[in-house]
Amino acid sequence: MTIIRYDGSFEGFLCATAPTIDGAEPAGFLRGEGGDGGLFDEVVAMASDRDVALAFYERIVREVSRDAFATARHAFHSEAGGVELLLLRYLSLGFRVGRRLEGMRADPLVQPVQQLARRVEREVHRFLGFVRFREVEWSGSDSLFYAPIEPETDVLPFLAPHFADRLADRPWVIHDLRRGQALFCEGGRVKLLRGVELAGVPSSTKDEDVCAALWQGYFKRLAIEARRNPGLQRQLVPLRYRKHLTEFGS
Amino acid sequence: MSYARGILHPMNDLPLDQRLEILADSAKYDVSCSSSGSDRNEVPGGLGSAAPSGICHTWTADGRCISLFKILLTNACIYDCAYCINRRSNDIRRAALTPDEVVRLTADFYRRNYIEGLFLSTGVVRSPDHTMEQLIAVARRLREEERFNGYIHLKVVPGADPQLVEAVGRYADRVSINIELPSRQSLYLLAPDKPRDAVIKPMRQLSGLIESAREERRKSRRAPQFAPAGQSTQLIVGATPESDREIITLSEGLYQRLGMKRVYYSAFIPVASDNRLPALAGPPLLREHRLYQADWLLRFYGFSAHELLDECRPNLDQRFDPKTCWAMRHLHLFPVEVNRADYEVLLRVPGIGVRSAQRIVQARRHTRLGEAELKRLGVVLKRARWFLTAGGRSLAGKTLDEAQLAAVLLTPNRQKARAAQLELFPALADSSAMTGEL
Repeated sequence: MTIIRYDGSFEGFLCATAPTIDGAEPAGFLRGEGGDGGLFDEVVAMASDRDVALAFYERIVREVSRDAFATARHAFHSEAGGVELLLLRYLSLGFRVGRRLEGMRADPLVQPVQQLARRVEREVHRFLGFVRFREVEWSGSDSLFYAPIEPETDVLPFLAPHFADRLADRPWVIHDLRRGQALFCEGGRVKLLRGVELAGVPSSTKDEDVCAALWQGYFKRLAIEARRNPGLQRQLVPLRYRKHLTEFGS
Repeated sequence: MSYARGILHPMNDLPLDQRLEILADSAKYDVSCSSSGSDRNEVPGGLGSAAPSGICHTWTADGRCISLFKILLTNACIYDCAYCINRRSNDIRRAALTPDEVVRLTADFYRRNYIEGLFLSTGVVRSPDHTMEQLIAVARRLREEERFNGYIHLKVVPGADPQLVEAVGRYADRVSINIELPSRQSLYLLAPDKPRDAVIKPMRQLSGLIESAREERRKSRRAPQFAPAGQSTQLIVGATPESDREIITLSEGLYQRLGMKRVYYSAFIPVASDNRLPALAGPPLLREHRLYQADWLLRFYGFSAHELLDECRPNLDQRFDPKTCWAMRHLHLFPVEVNRADYEVLLRVPGIGVRSAQRIVQARRHTRLGEAELKRLGVVLKRARWFLTAGGRSLAGKTLDEAQLAAVLLTPNRQKARAAQLELFPALADSSAMTGEL
């Protein structure tokens, strides 16, 4: 039984899948350095190569559809266990049926992938709202706007275009504390950095404290007392997200 | 700010944070919360964009969404509308923000991603025209000096001059003027300063301008925008004796004849004592919820007002959502075959929402749908199975009459909703907490 080892990135996954998809299905995938196959498994390492990944992307868009690629990409970032095999089968089916793939919503190979993709899409949309920047002291010329987040799925790559468009005039960072990754945007261009750690706690500027306090006071006053419904509020803003939301801070 | 000094109590020299809180207190009863309907791309050198679907940034302790910085320029007002917290005879603290303060706060909050944009309203000061000019001035500064490209929702003052009404749409994504009460008599009784025509005339004018701007933009992308996210309005529910039928019929008229984008329903909350207003134990939240459900049926499910309510049935059922009620009154039309029924028919099945109906129509092109597939597609089989067949076989297994069906559908969830108005929003997979979309 073959087990494929790849670097854990989506690009790496595309490279790992491209040569195998038309042949026999592997037993499983391994991310990164850790883990071993079973006694009878042969572990094959697949290197990540931009051109191979790009070529495979083009093949998917051409032979299946752009939507299918987007679904696969979103589903991958759910980091669900065994997602690689699910995607392999999904894409395999896609090469057989072509453009119809996304329409086959009830199919047992398609539906779980679409469900995972939706999970990621929902969390991306949630974070478009939940990302909170604060102005911190920095060595650069402008002040820096820094936003820590702790998402369940890997939403960072999907947040980049939205915030790059919207906040192009000052440098900002969105830091995924859970995965040690960050988006860094300067002059309208965004980079995704891995292996990121905070060297110290970023200190807010004076303006920042004033602004945050204004927002907190405003937020509290906006609730209509006669309609108080903390249960509903918990449903809409689960407690696990509140850590980095300015309005729920002190 | 000199316009306000004449009217405001000296207390207006309060620091910004206190004025902000006073005005937040006064602004919160205008319930519109949308930031959707406008697709603005970033402008080089400018600040921001607007996302077409709208983005909710957070939710307050009453469960309502914040997507815009909702604030009043001032809560001073020369009018004395009975239902309004800012009525001139109400003894509350009055304050104002300078245009500069509004612009600064909007930009600062926007940069931190607290909001999608600004929702600016105000009490009426000196005259409707004067007040309107103040609002327009803030919006113009945001757009032209600050180069702000995010979302702006501006209120229109009843009775404002048509030229000013036209100016509003140039800077705002959405505009609104509140009808507040469902009938001419009620408005006359509670808000004599705002005759119905002073409200309807600008509404009609805006409707015409929005429509013609859309037409022009269809022909040329360079034609100017005019309130691209359309017009909305608000109705207070429970302050006056009109039935749900009158309310929903009015909404239907607003949607069909004026192209209104949204009607908001706000459960009446007593904010000042007045013998023209009912002394309710609490705000009628369940009634408001049912009205939103009925509203959704008008806009997305192809229902007409008279199908939901008529003279014999002037108010929506408390126990069931309006779609289920309609289905139970029309059991002779069911069951329908899920693999063949038209989209419009599927929409009428309790437990099938818009998204499920769309998925069913797509999926059945490729495969025959049975119970397992329907579950995977997100259909709420608990309700839907009484109204569907799949491949000719009933999903329910037996037929029930209206009374039996009512007993079965009256689940523990809904009984709790009657008793305590806390769990109004069951967490169904496809259901929207804000709207109870079915």
